[in-house]
Amino acid sequence: MPTRESSSAAVWAILRKECRSEWRTRYGLNAALLFAVTTLAAVSFAIGRLGDRSDVLAALLWMVILFAALASLSHAFVREVEGHTLTMLRLIASPTSIALGKLLFNLLFLGLIEVVTVPLFLVLMAAPAPRWAPFLATLAVGSTALAVTSTLVGALIAQSRGRGALFAGVSFPLLMPLLLAAVRATRAQWLGVSAAAELRLLAAYALALLAAGLLLYDHLWED
Amino acid sequence: MIARWLLFLWIAAWTVIALLWAPLVPLLGATTRVLYFHIPSAWITVLALAWSMGHSLAYLRRRRIEHDDHAAAAAELGLVFCIAATITGSLWAKAMWGSYWNWDPRETSIFYLLLIYGAYLALRGSIDGEERRARLSAIYSAVAFVTVPFLMFIVPRLYFTLHPDPLINTHGKIEMDPRIRICFYAMLIGFTGLFAWMQSLRVRVTRLARRFEAAAAEPARRAV
Repeated sequence: MPTRESSSAAVWAILRKECRSEWRTRYGLNAALLFAVTTLAAVSFAIGRLGDRSDVLAALLWMVILFAALASLSHAFVREVEGHTLTMLRLIASPTSIALGKLLFNLLFLGLIEVVTVPLFLVLMAAPAPRWAPFLATLAVGSTALAVTSTLVGALIAQSRGRGALFAGVSFPLLMPLLLAAVRATRAQWLGVSAAAELRLLAAYALALLAAGLLLYDHLWED
Repeated sequence: MIARWLLFLWIAAWTVIALLWAPLVPLLGATTRVLYFHIPSAWITVLALAWSMGHSLAYLRRRRIEHDDHAAAAAELGLVFCIAATITGSLWAKAMWGSYWNWDPRETSIFYLLLIYGAYLALRGSIDGEERRARLSAIYSAVAFVTVPFLMFIVPRLYFTLHPDPLINTHGKIEMDPRIRICFYAMLIGFTGLFAWMQSLRVRVTRLARRFEAAAAEPARRAV
């Protein structure tokens, strides 16, 4: 069993390896960005400007983010299985460090998608100016919770026959509380109401799933 | 054998008694009667989920395949009872609230349970290898177990409920008419018995199928 120091080094090494292999082709990132922008364009095109309906805007914003996450976040594990590199990876690192490295990568990935999508969303939908502190906090905490959950489910789904096809369906039940809380927090900041309770809920959700993940990752690969 | 017939007679008899003898709740009218089927189904849905998740956690600890048999069987039965509870509830909602579905908190939580059961069974169905299937679905079950309290917490904040336990149950304790209460508890016992019987049947079938497979594989193994 690796010591704590070497396992945090392993997490860092996995993250660097993920970034490097993604940067070589940028296939995953391009596909995800294109998908996110397509979803956004479809929503915007179908509905038009919605500046005066911030309650609907909050829901649509999280739809776009959820779709982008569901379309891309299982990729980190599925790629290893499809490229037959998982066995090699397991030889050099513990399941927990692999999963944590991939979680950090997914978080970075989701952040990058949001940097493009969210400003575009605000502009295209003619959204009223958000209150930046609670808005960005909701995005950050919500995305963390989203990444934690989908990394966990992605690790499971990569070992199934359906792989990509099942990912959305299997993740959604776990993402439902998160989606409800995130939409509510976003709505609250547009209405000028405090979003603190929802933010705390999102943070607790992210922490609870992270803790569950840390306990369960050891069981991921045994055969 | 005897127990099975007694169970059948118990549920049949209490169905008749509930429909003929128990009075109706004033505001609910004839729709009161759905409670003898709807609430027990919902209760079994939750019981089966707890049973399934408990056995999933036990599987992760002890790695005995019997725990996985129990988890899978309870999930299958839970889905059936969940569908029954959803349909009876939805029909009742149409009669009382005027629409089959309007995302009342109770409707949201039962929908969530449907999704969890569906996702769990879909995941099971797509994993090859008995041990791996048991392990991965147990992990999923454990994660779902963690998310349940969050949903319980967030949903009531989003919408307020029109669900009639405030009508039957005003001060936090059960204030049903004693006749309704007797029938209700009798049905609850009946449904629980039904679940226990179906569960043991399902687990025994799985066990026999495994033994049969092992027996069928035995001569082939000896030939090699």
